[in-house]
Amino acid sequence: MADAGRTQAHERLRRLLLLVPYVSKHPGLTVDEVAKALGLTREGLLEDLDLLTLVGRPPFSPDDYVDVYVEDDRVWVDLDQRLSTPPRLTAAEGVALAAAAALLGPRPGDALHGALAKLEQVLPKGAREQYRALAQRLDLAADAPPDLAALSQAVVEHREVALDYFTAGTGVTERRVVQPHELFSHRGTWYLSAHCLTRGDERLFRLDRIAKLELTEQRFEAPAKGAGRPVPPESREQGARVRFSPKLSAWVQERFGAAASVLPGGAVEVEIRDDNEAWLTRWVLSFGGEAVVVAPESARAAIAKAAGAAIGLES
Amino acid sequence: MDRTERLLDLVALFLDADAPVSWADIRGAFPEDYGVGPSEANERKFERDKAELLELGLPLSFVPPGDDLPSGYVVDREAYALPEAGLKPDELAVLYAAGSAALASGAFPGAQDLAHALRQRGFLAGPNQPDPRVRLELGGLAQGHELPQRLEQLWAAVSTRKKVELEYHSPHTRQTTRRTVDPYGLALRRGVWNLVGHCHLRQGIRTFHVHRVRALSVNAAKPKSPDFEVPAAFRLDDYVATWPWQHRFHPPVEVTLTLSGALAPLADSLFPKGCAQGTGPTRALTVPATDLDALLAYVLSLGPQAKVTGPDDALQRLRAMATKVHQAHQGAARG
Repeated sequence: MADAGRTQAHERLRRLLLLVPYVSKHPGLTVDEVAKALGLTREGLLEDLDLLTLVGRPPFSPDDYVDVYVEDDRVWVDLDQRLSTPPRLTAAEGVALAAAAALLGPRPGDALHGALAKLEQVLPKGAREQYRALAQRLDLAADAPPDLAALSQAVVEHREVALDYFTAGTGVTERRVVQPHELFSHRGTWYLSAHCLTRGDERLFRLDRIAKLELTEQRFEAPAKGAGRPVPPESREQGARVRFSPKLSAWVQERFGAAASVLPGGAVEVEIRDDNEAWLTRWVLSFGGEAVVVAPESARAAIAKAAGAAIGLES
Repeated sequence: MDRTERLLDLVALFLDADAPVSWADIRGAFPEDYGVGPSEANERKFERDKAELLELGLPLSFVPPGDDLPSGYVVDREAYALPEAGLKPDELAVLYAAGSAALASGAFPGAQDLAHALRQRGFLAGPNQPDPRVRLELGGLAQGHELPQRLEQLWAAVSTRKKVELEYHSPHTRQTTRRTVDPYGLALRRGVWNLVGHCHLRQGIRTFHVHRVRALSVNAAKPKSPDFEVPAAFRLDDYVATWPWQHRFHPPVEVTLTLSGALAPLADSLFPKGCAQGTGPTRALTVPATDLDALLAYVLSLGPQAKVTGPDDALQRLRAMATKVHQAHQGAARG
């Protein structure tokens, strides 16, 4: 790209404009702490600090230079030369942040919704119009399930939540109280990893199976990082072989890449190590006859039964 | 003097000044930078520096001479500084969680801007914030390794309204076509990034999956002046399908269906754009479909608590579909 050099210089400048204010506001942090907060390597930060000692204002007498230094591996600033406040967000930065927030689908009443309303006020007045125009050019809100922003808040604040959960396997909806640990999306589906107080166990919940959600005021102790995480769906041992008609072959290859094997005649097969039989049944049915499970037999029988039920057969 | 250094010096100069700073003052303060060679070249050099400062968010303006003040450049310090107040700790925390999840997804347009905005937010909230614990997987496709760079380029083109040249591969026709597109915007639908824009080849608004773009270049001519205007009535959402049955294969068909039992309370999340009536144990919905078979397959996948009630054509097709699946899964697998 022709302007990659310019972009890099721009990146460095806006980082430097934040560095002095950051150290002024949080004096005496270690080099590593400052580097982490600003998304830099230790070496990168030390280079930036070196450059800052050359920065000053006319007439450039000794007291006119920024005095930022490292002592006992801690970063301090004595003379900030008016650089002690960072600039406001630009319109593009505001839009990027707003778009990221939109990914979690904020609704009125959520902390995230409140944050977005205030974000616009943090922009310079002249940038607000550009911000609103740009925000319409990036559309992500439709992808978020309804409860995502509220659950994010519960995860961040360690608040217990009560929810009505529908289990596809049993067809039953049940009230649960859970301690939400982590939210993640996998192949277009959002999951909540939580400690379920109703069942006394670590569980994965699909967000599109949650019918009613309430944040309680009950706080819980944050779990250790990575502790008690349920097994991700793709690491299960028992797989199923699914064959797709030639009509879907291009789509399957695009999605599964080298994992999809093309058969003579144009059909493709993939091995699915996802989730459970109830999920597999639904997934195969959602291709409306263009996908067939080849093995195992139990999965074939489950799908035959589900399809039979739709045409009034008791198989 | 190094340009980065000079630009930071200029920021310090303007922020410190209590009176307008004239071009003569600036030239005098930086004799090696703006005082050597023809004056026109020096002025152009300062204009470029000024443009960069504006882009960094320095509200620099030129004021004409006043009663007791000379003309020159001033910075509105209040407009420059990031305000402290406003966002509460919980708002900052959840905003950070959203931002870092998007950034970590590896496929987010404007990633550099986002990274910087998050650092700003770190300035407000302080160091050692807890792990946000929200993870996103975007563009979850096998062929997605070039996606982050494409998104960054496309977002730059969208925000500066520059046209792009792209090579687009269609998996259906297995053809690659070369197109010029005025990029109107980017939309994420079910983990897939879509580019919507005016396609010069097809002379109309088209939607492209970003991961199917094989080569991409942004028009580099006149970077500061836009190549096109986006029509005022244009809305991204009108051109991207969230659900398979919204793909435009035929004129809209109004399909009626019911959800009972445990599915009834999930009506709004299962059919976000469906029109649901009532709140009882069985809910009736009307869903407009422009790809009927896709809707029927989805209903079939929901199990016996989801039923199509009309029109007749839809009922017959659903029956044929279920019969096909049933037969394909009877007995031992063939082949």
